[in-house]
Amino acid sequence: MEGAIKTLVTTFISSSRGKDNLDSKSFQKLVQKQFSGMMEDTNSSKKIKEMQAGLDANNDGKVSFQEYLTLIGYLANCVSDSKTNSSQAASDAS
Amino acid sequence: MPSELETAMESLITVFHRYASKQGRSGTLSRRELRELMENELSNFLKSQQDATAIDKIMRDLDTNGDGQVDFEEFVSLVVGLSIACEQCYQMHMKNVAKK
Repeated sequence: MEGAIKTLVTTFISSSRGKDNLDSKSFQKLVQKQFSGMMEDTNSSKKIKEMQAGLDANNDGKVSFQEYLTLIGYLANCVSDSKTNSSQAASDAS
Repeated sequence: MPSELETAMESLITVFHRYASKQGRSGTLSRRELRELMENELSNFLKSQQDATAIDKIMRDLDTNGDGQVDFEEFVSLVVGLSIACEQCYQMHMKNVAKK
């Protein structure tokens, strides 16, 4: 679990190349490289821009580490929910 | 093939559910399950496992809906908090390296 947390942090740091924020281009690269299995529409730069605008809580046009973690949290919740629902459905069926 | 980040997220989700399903309500961590998770999975990050009041405090902080259990959404706050601490540590480390 500690390794997983380190991966969350190092992925952001290597994408932002040491800066505090991700600009649109680095964010798009990160999404395309890292989330193509979990998310649809990672090929659409329009969709990624929309998502970035949704995350940008302080409206500075960039994605901060905090805003990036919001995305991770949101996705993790979705995946976790779908897991619980499918395992519940499986136990209901049996 | 899942990416490195997707694999990391999967493993966080799996860890949560492994501990959450041990006893009682299966989708949430009880105080005891949270303690076991912290003892076994976060022993390098958190040194306060032995301290019962620290566990109580973490439990209270995480349990935003006050039901005495930590659900996955509340667990994500712990992951976010640890990631922020880890990132700050890393930045400090890099600054120190740059100074030398």
